[in-house]
Amino acid sequence: MRRSLIIKSLLTAGALALSVVASSTSSAAGTGMVPFDSAKAGGTLKLVAQAAAGTLDPKVNYTGQFWQLYQATYDGLLGFKYADGAGSFEIVPDLATALPVQSNGGKTLTFTLRSGIKFSNGAPVTVADVKASFERIFKVSSPTAGSFYNGIVGAPACLTKPATCKLDKGVVVNAAKNSVVINLVAPDEAILSKLAVPHAAINPASSPAKDAGTAPIPTTGPYMFKSYDPNKLLVMVRNPFFKEWSHDAQPAAYSDEIDYQFGLTPTAQVTAVENNQANWVYDPIPADRLNEIGTKYATQAHVNPLTAMWYLPMNVNIAPFNNVKARQAVNYALDRAAMVKIFGGSQLAAPVCSFLPPNFPGHVDYCGYTKGATPTKPAKAWAAPDLALAKKLVKDSGTAGQAVAVVVSDDDVNKQMGVYVQSVLNSIGYKATVKPISANIQFTYIQNTKNKVQISVSQWYQDYPAASDFLNVLLGCASFTPNSDASINMSGYCNKAFDAKMQKTLALAVTDKTAADKSWGQLDQEVMADAPVAVAFTPKQLDFISTGTKNYHFSLQFKMFVSQLQTK
Amino acid sequence: MLSFVAKRFSAMIFVLVSISILVFLIFFATPGVDPAARIAGRNADQQTLMQVRASFELDKPLPARYLSMMKHLFVTQDLTSYVNRGAKVLPQLFQAIPATLSLVVGAALIWLFVGIFLGVFAASSKRKWIDPTISVLGIIGISLPVYWLGEVVNLITQSKLHNSVFKWVPALGYVSLTANPWQWFLHLLFPWLTLALLYAGIYIRVLRSEILGVMKEDYIKTERAKGASEKRILYKHATRMSLITIVSLFGLDFGALVGGSALLTEVVFGIQGVGKLTFDSLQNFDLPVIMATVMYASFFVVFMNALVDIVYAVLDPRVRRV
Amino acid sequence: MSLNESASAIFSESPGKIALRTLARDKRSWISLSILGTIILLALFAPLYAHIIAKTDPFASTLNATITLHGKTISVLEPSTTGLGLGVTPIGPTWNIHKYFLGADGQGRDVMARLLYGSRNTLFIGTSAGLITIILSLLIGLIAGYRRGWVDAVLSRILDVIWAFPVYLLAISLSVVLLTSGLKIGFLHFGPGSMALPITIIGVVYIPYVARPIRGQVLAMREREFVRAAVGTGAKHSTIVFREILPNVMPAVLVFIPIMIALSMLTESALSFLSIGVQPPSASWGTIINDGLALLYTRPIVALAPGLMIVLTAAALNLYGDAVRDALDPKTRARGD
Repeated sequence: MRRSLIIKSLLTAGALALSVVASSTSSAAGTGMVPFDSAKAGGTLKLVAQAAAGTLDPKVNYTGQFWQLYQATYDGLLGFKYADGAGSFEIVPDLATALPVQSNGGKTLTFTLRSGIKFSNGAPVTVADVKASFERIFKVSSPTAGSFYNGIVGAPACLTKPATCKLDKGVVVNAAKNSVVINLVAPDEAILSKLAVPHAAINPASSPAKDAGTAPIPTTGPYMFKSYDPNKLLVMVRNPFFKEWSHDAQPAAYSDEIDYQFGLTPTAQVTAVENNQANWVYDPIPADRLNEIGTKYATQAHVNPLTAMWYLPMNVNIAPFNNVKARQAVNYALDRAAMVKIFGGSQLAAPVCSFLPPNFPGHVDYCGYTKGATPTKPAKAWAAPDLALAKKLVKDSGTAGQAVAVVVSDDDVNKQMGVYVQSVLNSIGYKATVKPISANIQFTYIQNTKNKVQISVSQWYQDYPAASDFLNVLLGCASFTPNSDASINMSGYCNKAFDAKMQKTLALAVTDKTAADKSWGQLDQEVMADAPVAVAFTPKQLDFISTGTKNYHFSLQFKMFVSQLQTK
Repeated sequence: MLSFVAKRFSAMIFVLVSISILVFLIFFATPGVDPAARIAGRNADQQTLMQVRASFELDKPLPARYLSMMKHLFVTQDLTSYVNRGAKVLPQLFQAIPATLSLVVGAALIWLFVGIFLGVFAASSKRKWIDPTISVLGIIGISLPVYWLGEVVNLITQSKLHNSVFKWVPALGYVSLTANPWQWFLHLLFPWLTLALLYAGIYIRVLRSEILGVMKEDYIKTERAKGASEKRILYKHATRMSLITIVSLFGLDFGALVGGSALLTEVVFGIQGVGKLTFDSLQNFDLPVIMATVMYASFFVVFMNALVDIVYAVLDPRVRRV
Repeated sequence: MSLNESASAIFSESPGKIALRTLARDKRSWISLSILGTIILLALFAPLYAHIIAKTDPFASTLNATITLHGKTISVLEPSTTGLGLGVTPIGPTWNIHKYFLGADGQGRDVMARLLYGSRNTLFIGTSAGLITIILSLLIGLIAGYRRGWVDAVLSRILDVIWAFPVYLLAISLSVVLLTSGLKIGFLHFGPGSMALPITIIGVVYIPYVARPIRGQVLAMREREFVRAAVGTGAKHSTIVFREILPNVMPAVLVFIPIMIALSMLTESALSFLSIGVQPPSASWGTIINDGLALLYTRPIVALAPGLMIVLTAAALNLYGDAVRDALDPKTRARGD
């Protein structure tokens, strides 16, 4: 089912060296939204998706699907700017009056809370709510508690004993001065990004100390959640206490109400939008509807690049891919153009073989695994597979004839990819089978070494433009935990020397981002020579909206701006 | 009689308990099914993972987990989903029941009408070609894969002819009767027809062969000898006798369908009934929901079975010995 | 269940011979057998078609293949070039027996070749599962009905449990588990992609539907004078079961065979449709329908063709089932004889 793609677009965690374009004014790259036009406000926006994304609690939910909505409902001290394209990576003050004053070598961040802002239940937003919100990250065992916020003073104790979490030294507040001071154990150049994502949103201190599940928590943004039934409908209405305080961080919204309906198949969703019964389709558009949308409904389609990859992790600890030649053979054999075809054609994806996606910090245009190239003498871009070389490598590796199972999710696109990869593996000398398993368990299944997965098809979507978010998270020793379902380094690749170089680059990033990015680019080529994975292509986002839907804007951070769509 | 009912009742409990244990074991026998990592979120820290596991009691031994789940399902009735955290399972189930009932009752009316009409017609018609024609229709009815038929119907009504003949067909899904009766009817029309076709096939065949069977019984011959008209024999005796079989068959089919056997029809037409809920929860490996829907489904099957048995026992005392 | 009167005492000629003669005279049996025969021939013909006529490998992805048709070179998977250029459409039916007669699927494979190979798996699974159901049901029915007492109680309760578990729910749950883990029965180990999995699952879920009526018949038979007499004279149990009881339940069993095969086939296709039956890249009619659903809007033939094959085969089996039933059980025979 398509749900896998929902889960695949979960935002990435564990990003450590997040590079951020920080600026207190809107003068940086990317223009903000045009001023609010009240004449175009009103109406009901109807969104459709096959399934809901689980809990509504902004401290727990970790899906792209709901983070898109949180942008129009919850606010942190900081936020990502409402701007098109790359401008959306800019971090702007949200509930804080300005970006923090950093002192003590970057370990102390001082904020002033805006006054006069109210929650959707009418209560004012106070510094006590700020402190409680940070403690609540640990109390509800937020997925990023241990990876994003473990650097706050007092966090380790909170991680071991969430119920009694107190951050008296880590988040120091002063109600008289309306100030918030966050103390870190060590400087963290990614801290601003971590404070801008929904898990750091400010919620009332009275919010329950456990996952609130389907019960809405009061919001600060232009919308609040009215009701939520994960099998049917999520209703968002205007927050009566909202007044625009920063057009960049949280502009006023257009529609009076947003109805998010669940349960329709992707193809039924497309039909609904074509027939003007819904405004927007959440799920990826089914392959056989693409042509129709690209021709008959071309004006309603929006294609935007994503910094993401589809790739094949290969388990470097078990046969046959414990042999580097076998892994390189797969890299040479993959016809990336064929995989792009399965995904929907060259307008929706582009073949790549570098680890860092195009237009990404540190990315270098190179391909070591195309016809006529080698990892040491790479070509500029991927052109064609080299089956002869792949067959030779398999033969040389002595792994020819071995059984290989490709583990994929059982939704259409992934299954097709799996069948294709199986066909390729057969053609280079393996006895391959494809094992499609439920999209909902595939992602954790392929992580656990107990399941002895040899090769799989997976995806990685970024949310910050930071090379470490790909390389360090997916191929670092710290991300590999044998026998655990949470071991994102699916290849089980732990190269001590390479890991040390990554740590050095992480440290370098604090002082010199340009040098660090250059280093990441070299590390990309270095690790791909060892081929722990085969990168296939970088996908694009296709949004399909109904004829009456106007003012479409796309953020690289949270995708389409829901609050800015006009239905009138 | 009382002891018979008591025996049936205890057998029912036994079956339900066995099924709940079976579902539980099947679930935890699946590798990679541990929901903790999925609940905890992508790349969660190992400590967070352990806390989530503890909060869902996934660190306890299997029997304790089973008992706790049964307690939450039946005693406190606050069992919550593994996937949509905080979503209570029972309200989801109770919300799905009206959709399934709407689908099954509507389809049942159609197939009973068509089945009885054509079944009797086939058995009684004097014209030579009618019986074989209806029999072939019946055979095609039972040979059509319902999911495929549903997809073909969707292809025609939602796509190929949607802009001409079938413009009035609404998008897939379900609208409740109380919200909008007309839309309820329009949304369910094609699902009804699709589901009814299969069962109409069955009922045509059963009724036809029952009637023909009864017509050969000795007492019918006696009636005929006494000079009763063919029409009277057909309607007064044969059809009435055969309807007893039809009623008991209907009891079992209805129980199974309301219990979730309409799954394929619900999935194909996007009707959020019990079958679709079960299917979605199986896809999601959402054990609490699976458990609730399967318990509900088997309850219906077992209950209708017992009901049919008891009714039979009332009618025919010999059955009680078996 | 209606009790089958022991016919052997009434007729002088053996009932089997009478039945066979009736069956041979029945038009329906000839129609259905010729349809089934043609389908089986086509299935056997699959490799011949794929390798000699169409010269294609139905299990290898050929996403970048091209063919020459009417002097023009066309891609098997044609990317859209109009408008925004979104999507890739497989080639439709060429109606040319040598290349892509019914068009290509999403992997650029020949649908006709896959349909023929698919019929092998569907027929094989349907037949094996149907026979497994019949054999196991016969065993259970005989043992439970003959031994009675606690053996019967235990077996009946097990049947009750399977019966109460709605067929598709049980089949789906078992498939989901077994497809991830494989199946171990003693020393036999079936991998997750093995054909044995759908066969076992389908074979098991329908047992109560057949075993219950058989048990009822055996139970009734056990009470009859001739069986009691045999027990009284100290005849061996096996002799009684095989000489006295089995011949009397056989007609019912025979009637079940074509019906159960048809039912198993339909179930296999439904499971494959839900992608929990036959696993890719193998084909069955159900998996081709499943593949075809992703192409329903652009290439509906991919889903329509296997569906029609299923209907045709199931209808032929059911028709044959009717003929067999009427031949074996004169009481329900249609008029006009």
